[in-house]
Amino acid sequence: MLKPLLTKLLNHLINQNLTAKEQLQPFASKSVNFRLPPLNVTLVVLEDGGLAIAGESSTPEATVTIPMSVALRLLANDEAANSLITLEGDSELAATLAKVLRGFSWNYEEDLSRIVGAMPASKVTSFGRKATEQVSAQAQNATASLTEYLREDQQLIAANYAIQQFLSDVDDVRDDAERLAKRLQKLEAAITEKLNKKPAA
Amino acid sequence: MSEESSTHFGFKTINENEKAQKVGEVFHSVARNYDLMNDVMSAGLHRGWKRFAVEISGVSAGGRVLDVAGGSGDMSRLFAKKVGDTGEVVLTDINASMLAVGRDRLIDAGLTAPALQCDAEKLPFPDQYFDCVCVAFGLRNMTHKEKALAEMQRVLKVGGRLLVLEFSQIWKPLAPLYDAYSFKLLPLMGKLFAKDADSYQYLAESIRMHPDQETLRQMMLDAGFAKVDYYNLAAGVVALHKGWKI
Ligand SMILES: C[S@@+](CC[C@H](N)C(=O)[O-])C[C@H]1O[C@@H](n2cnc3c(N)ncnc32)[C@H](O)[C@@H]1O
Repeated sequence: MLKPLLTKLLNHLINQNLTAKEQLQPFASKSVNFRLPPLNVTLVVLEDGGLAIAGESSTPEATVTIPMSVALRLLANDEAANSLITLEGDSELAATLAKVLRGFSWNYEEDLSRIVGAMPASKVTSFGRKATEQVSAQAQNATASLTEYLREDQQLIAANYAIQQFLSDVDDVRDDAERLAKRLQKLEAAITEKLNKKPAA
Repeated sequence: MSEESSTHFGFKTINENEKAQKVGEVFHSVARNYDLMNDVMSAGLHRGWKRFAVEISGVSAGGRVLDVAGGSGDMSRLFAKKVGDTGEVVLTDINASMLAVGRDRLIDAGLTAPALQCDAEKLPFPDQYFDCVCVAFGLRNMTHKEKALAEMQRVLKVGGRLLVLEFSQIWKPLAPLYDAYSFKLLPLMGKLFAKDADSYQYLAESIRMHPDQETLRQMMLDAGFAKVDYYNLAAGVVALHKGWKI
């Protein structure tokens, strides 16, 4: 009963993010296979713009592959990692769905109020927020140590300072190149001037 | 009895003309207790499967839906809520007793839907009329499944969907257990709850004579659906097929 359950959850989330439905509707009946090893899940767009887990016999129109190392960087909010996601097949479909999924936000205050009533819901959430902050701090710690391992020991991810250094090197090269271009321009102008003067003399 | 005119009635092979009549007798005799039995037989799971089918349909407010072999009206009731006041749901069944039960239950739920007695093999609707057609636990009772599927395809708009919810081929390791359940326990429960063991013997048998997931998928493609995808529910006890007319 996993598929009905996941589908219910997906549509619950999508109903809280109404622009998602509008964005997805043009792709009704199409499906996308997401590969986040070891996870592999295919989602299908419904005719009303909703989302469901695809059936056993679906043939996806597009594939999105997110390697483990890239997934970790995405978790650590490294936007540059976006470009390392591989999209195959119908790339417009894949890109739209990936964008919608990343933009999902969960309106848990509203969900809770349905269970515990509107009044206490805000109290629960203010407690919940603190708890969530702690959980997310812990998650960040865990991500940080994993990232450190991958960066220092495995050298799979570049360290922040290395990237900063690289970026400033790029800036230097760009400035140097611009200066060089300017000097060449000057030289060129000087040569033309000289050539123009010669026949007159 | 010639090859062409014989068909299955559970495990028995009978004359084609007899089948519709026999199926009619079965459902006439179980109509009143049908819901209770459904709950007992599937341990209440059929409600979840039906809700999932409606969710997968992608039908939105204002949509037009046909419930084929709708009997108890479960699907119509769920769809009526989904399409809202601007939408339209038509409940149909070949059997007057089942249809009456379904219609009454819709009215009890405060919903009005036209209830129409008709054969799925000859649907009295124009071409390209519905956004969605559903048939829940009804296809296996039909004498000419190909004909019925072609009719459902005909009345669908381009972009419309057919949903078939039906007993199917269970995951092999669980099959012996399921056999014992459906051939021994089912008729017994039929006797206890609906006082009608024979009808439930037929139900159990007709489940086995039903095409497996891949075969039904191919039948739907043959009936003109451009694309068909299916879901196995409860290890394949039940499958939900969704076909698109493109
Ligand atoms: C098991 S009941 C399903 C009722 C309902 N859809 C549900 O899921 O609760 C099967 C129904 O199929 C109907 N039926 C059988 N053959 C049919 C046919 N050729 N055309 C329309 N309905 C048919 C029977 O009358 C019966 O009501």
